[in-house]
Amino acid sequence: MIRESKMYKMLRYIFLIGACIFAVGPIIPLLFMAFKTGAEYSATGVLTPPKNWLNMYNFAYAIRVGKLGQALINTAIILTISLGIQIIFTTMVSYVLHRFEFFGKKIIMTLFTLTMFIPVVTTQTVVFQIMYKLKLVNKMPSVILLYSGVGIVGIYIMFNLLASIGKELDEAALIDGANYFTIYRVIILPLLKPACTTLLILNGIGYYNDFYIPNLYLRKNVQTFTVALYQFFGNMATPFEIVAAAILLGIIPIGIAYLCLQKYIFYGLAGAIKS
Amino acid sequence: MKKTKSSKIIIVAFLLLPVIHLLVFSYIPILCNVYLSFTDFKGTGTPKWIGLKNYKRLVTDPQYIMVFKNCLWYMLVAIPQLILAFVLAVFVNGKFRGLNFFKGVLIIPYLLNGVIVSTIFIIFFNNSGTLNLILETIGLGALKQQWLQNLKLVNPAIASISIWRYYGMNFIMFFGGLQTIPSELFEAAAVDGATKWQEIKYISIPAIRNVLFINILLSISGSIQVFEIPYIMMNGSNGTTTPVIQIQQSAFADNRVGFAAALSIMVFVIVVIAVGLQSFFNKRGED
Repeated sequence: MIRESKMYKMLRYIFLIGACIFAVGPIIPLLFMAFKTGAEYSATGVLTPPKNWLNMYNFAYAIRVGKLGQALINTAIILTISLGIQIIFTTMVSYVLHRFEFFGKKIIMTLFTLTMFIPVVTTQTVVFQIMYKLKLVNKMPSVILLYSGVGIVGIYIMFNLLASIGKELDEAALIDGANYFTIYRVIILPLLKPACTTLLILNGIGYYNDFYIPNLYLRKNVQTFTVALYQFFGNMATPFEIVAAAILLGIIPIGIAYLCLQKYIFYGLAGAIKS
Repeated sequence: MKKTKSSKIIIVAFLLLPVIHLLVFSYIPILCNVYLSFTDFKGTGTPKWIGLKNYKRLVTDPQYIMVFKNCLWYMLVAIPQLILAFVLAVFVNGKFRGLNFFKGVLIIPYLLNGVIVSTIFIIFFNNSGTLNLILETIGLGALKQQWLQNLKLVNPAIASISIWRYYGMNFIMFFGGLQTIPSELFEAAAVDGATKWQEIKYISIPAIRNVLFINILLSISGSIQVFEIPYIMMNGSNGTTTPVIQIQQSAFADNRVGFAAALSIMVFVIVVIAVGLQSFFNKRGED
């Protein structure tokens, strides 16, 4: 490694500290606001810290009125089912496309690859009609169904790992009389675990944060967490300090996940992007 | 592997549902959209063929030209966004105290959802918000603006939010790219007495040229699909409508499904060009 001059080291710290202020700075007024009383909010500037950091009134109000608890449960249900289905399907598709030669394999692989070109936003005019005909609009299965599809990024992540697992193991098992399903279940699936974790984190964050799909399909009755936050936000009658509290509550689940999984998240994102 | 009866069963069993899903929710809709874009379909009843009328409207009506023009702001802010992300990646790529702390803090904005980001920046751009307050405090009170009501400023203002929201993604990609450079290269440069600046200029930048290119194209295809921030913050008002907001408005509020389909196809074509170039260069980079 090239020796870094004192100057370079200093420059690095100055720049990185500046960048951290840039990253976190805009969130701070929100933090202040969430703890202020209504009177305090209108009387003080956005950069004035709240008088009482233990004022929980806004949070309690947000949880009670915004039905955020129920929305969080809905999001958890949707994520668990759809990610479960998606990950299992991704391992199955990847196993078959990686290990077998068959008629039509190229076409199927191409079909999966070309979905990169079809942004979700360009198909919803028609998909909405389909969901409407299936009577799934405003019901959780609509979003679960859309989230369960196998994506090309997932296939690539699995392929990377499958390429490193030799076919010898499969073939040895085959000679020993195991059938293909047993090979998949006993050999392939356990070895694909790290790829499954990457996919889980990647799409878990993506779906938790997704707004477009749930806002289109789940406007009434059931709501995901993002849509509940949005409706809270969109309701002009709600005092803004309450909205701030609700939003801060919205950061908590992702914050906890982030603190626990920080290492995996960073390398998961980097790994997925590289492949 | 040899083809046997049991292999055929597993191939079909494992592929059937995912492929049906793929056809029903991606391919059939986009093909239907191509057809619908030439009709006046209103969501119910039979679509009537009207030829290129929808497309003609899209490229001649100033209201819709503006919708595409708004995307240009989002492309423009991608330039400082990528520069920031690249400089950060170069600085973080090394061994120093606090490395993990900085990595952790820097990607926080990328993990927040659109509603959270919108609220944060409503507070930031409001008339008595953070930005105006800071301007006043540092003695530049004359520059105070109604950022979200001024028709000239609102688009650049909300487009610039993308810098904050997405630089983390670019940063992770650049960092990943820099990590793949073999360390021998840096060692050889050190032996030759290269300075840090020369190292960056002659090793780091050329090595991640492809990553840079992919990021540029991702920004272009992202700009054309902008939805959340202008929708949540402004509901598309004050001239902040983007193509995707317009699709949603036309298809689900105005029941002009045929027109929305034509708009979808326009977005689709732009994305195809951007992603197509991207995978072309990606492949070339691998060779």
